[in-house]
Amino acid sequence: MSADKDLHLDEDQLLKALVEEAELPLPLRQHLSTCPHCRASKQIFEQDLARLGQMAERASPSPRRQVSLPVGEPRHSTGWLWGWRTGLGAAVAAALVVILMWGVPILRDTPMGNGDMLAREMQETEQFMTEIDLLVENALPPVYSDISVESDTGLDEEFIQFMLPPIEEESISYDSGKRGALLC
Amino acid sequence: MVQKEYHARVRDASDVEALVEQAIAGSRTAFEQLVGLFQGEIFRMVYYRTRSTMDAEDLTQDIFVQAFKNLYTLKATERFRSWLFKIAVNRVRDFIRKKRFRALFSTLDDDNVAEPYEEIRDRPEALDKLMVQDFWKQVGSFLDKLSRMEKEVFILRFMDHLSIKEISQSLGKSESTVKTHLYRSIQKFRGEHSIRQLLQEGIA
Repeated sequence: MSADKDLHLDEDQLLKALVEEAELPLPLRQHLSTCPHCRASKQIFEQDLARLGQMAERASPSPRRQVSLPVGEPRHSTGWLWGWRTGLGAAVAAALVVILMWGVPILRDTPMGNGDMLAREMQETEQFMTEIDLLVENALPPVYSDISVESDTGLDEEFIQFMLPPIEEESISYDSGKRGALLC
Repeated sequence: MVQKEYHARVRDASDVEALVEQAIAGSRTAFEQLVGLFQGEIFRMVYYRTRSTMDAEDLTQDIFVQAFKNLYTLKATERFRSWLFKIAVNRVRDFIRKKRFRALFSTLDDDNVAEPYEEIRDRPEALDKLMVQDFWKQVGSFLDKLSRMEKEVFILRFMDHLSIKEISQSLGKSESTVKTHLYRSIQKFRGEHSIRQLLQEGIA
């Protein structure tokens, strides 16, 4: 086949062909596959690049030291177990985040939390009412309780009557302090 | 000779995959066989970038130990080679970064240690000493004209002999990105008449 000179690949197209020939437009690919001139031009580049790799390899030393691996077997691929553990770890982490974000409100709103608070409030109320009852019974402060009539002095009624006998009308006149009053 | 070695290095992909599967299952022997298959390739890959035999040996050791420890993370066994190169690319990049940082505080003598051609002097069997020196000098001069990505893609494609797909997997870039950088690097290579002449004379 005689290739049309006007259809020869330019240098940029040749470079593109070097990178990936399959990406050239179909007419250019067809031309490249049949045109000896274009193929030769491409081969020159290809050969230079291939020589570069070969020379680099020849101009490099060989490793003198063998690789020494760590003691033991390579770490096993755990497959499903790895996935399971990863999933579990993610779930635990997510739960921790949720607890940290919402933990305090949750604790405050739980029935157990409400019950504790209610019991404490009831106890305080009960204590307060007890104090009120005591005040109703005896409003005097303790310091006055010794001189208070209502205070429990430990003296029985008989002793009090002995010490303070009841006033008799016939023995004591209204004006008993006056001279001659008893004789009247 | 080189061509024979090159063909001998082309391994049966299914054999490699079988070894990788055994190694993932816990076989040390299988992994040792994989080391035997890929050690030279990885060593050269590192050497092309560091130009130091000692560094290349140390880094090759590190790369295979890292691969040994993390093999269980490899999901697609057919991607072992590109996975190994990915480890190598990252390890070398890290090494060069640290080396540049150290160079900020190093003396002139330290810089001379990194002279790339000295290590070939005792190896006349590889190529003529002067030719080797000239070769690396010109390759280095050419690679310096490329951007970091162009250089990486060019070396992986034409010196490490990776396919575009493997390069894409190793670098974590799309195939179209790889092709773009490859195209630009070849475009620059086209204008390097001296190195192209050297290559043609070197083989003749």
